[in-house]
Amino acid sequence: MFRSLKLLLPAIVPSWNFFDVIAPSPRIQFSLLNTKNELVFDWTEFRPRLEHVSFKQMLLRVCWNPVWNESLFMVSCAERIMENPTEHSELEILNRIKRDLLNNPTVNPDLQLQFRLEVIERQNNKLIQTTCFHSRIVPLKFSEGSV
Amino acid sequence: MNFDEAIRLTEILVGFAFIQQSFEHIKSFSNEKIIFFSRLTLSIVLVTGFYTSWVLILLFILSLVMLNRFQGPYNGGADRMSLLILICLLLTHLAPNQYWKEVAFGYLALQLVLSYFVSGWVKIVNPDWRSGRALRDVFEYSAYPVSQSLRAWAKSPRLLLIMSWLVMLFELIFPFTLFSEQTLIIALVVAAGFHFANACLFGLNRFFWIWIAAYPSIFWFQLRLSSIM
Repeated sequence: MFRSLKLLLPAIVPSWNFFDVIAPSPRIQFSLLNTKNELVFDWTEFRPRLEHVSFKQMLLRVCWNPVWNESLFMVSCAERIMENPTEHSELEILNRIKRDLLNNPTVNPDLQLQFRLEVIERQNNKLIQTTCFHSRIVPLKFSEGSV
Repeated sequence: MNFDEAIRLTEILVGFAFIQQSFEHIKSFSNEKIIFFSRLTLSIVLVTGFYTSWVLILLFILSLVMLNRFQGPYNGGADRMSLLILICLLLTHLAPNQYWKEVAFGYLALQLVLSYFVSGWVKIVNPDWRSGRALRDVFEYSAYPVSQSLRAWAKSPRLLLIMSWLVMLFELIFPFTLFSEQTLIIALVVAAGFHFANACLFGLNRFFWIWIAAYPSIFWFQLRLSSIM
């Protein structure tokens, strides 16, 4: 009850401080491993931006933009992890990466998955990229009974 | 637009906005599908206008379920505005008399005004916004630009400086457009255009629909203010 109220309060008394500061921006990268003990050297950006989006596509996305909105939710989860890591945020990101990868028939479902968060921020007129979080390593397959 | 018409129009617009949001989850995980299929059904009933008080109560409960499911809003400010509209509509329906009904709906109009004014204020007190640097950073490295080609806008500092000041000044003068119906209409057209641009450039489509859903409240509020003054 208290938790629900805490989550509800920002909607009842909103702060409306959109873009007041341009915060460090997270990027999600993942890696597929053969075993849990394997060292990771090869990271792939999750859902990299398209090079170009046409005006027609932009107009369509005003009505239908589920993948982008999910990506923005994952950015929110990444920001929550940067502030205070929780299992919920980590699992939300892991599960969404899993689902995308398992929809690709060329991906071996018996592999293990890990993601990391890269943070881009401006420091003294330069853009700096650092790694701030490594997730746990989990089987790519969804376990029985999970979402 | 009288009070009842404004309420009804808000219910219809927020219903359509929720339908749009819910459809975006039809290919999601099974537990999300259950939540959003329920929301979709309730939103359709809200648009038709049957049992509105009960539908609003159920939509509010469902919003609490969503907040718990995602441990906060799924879509940031758009979800917060969705919930705010829902709560104000619900209070309007449950209020014991016309005075409290108007207070509840007036609160939505007030928050709509603040959503622009406060956004403008927090920007203008930031030197990075005043110099255009903040908007350059948005395009250069934030998570929002929908394509790599849009990142090139960061190389046009003069354009972004002008855009920054236009956005800040518009947001700050927004409350003053309440002085007449004509200026308010112009301001809302500009504001809708601003949300539309954000939907196109940054993919923030839900903001566009849900902010428009709150506009009837401010139309009514402006008329109410004129009748008092």
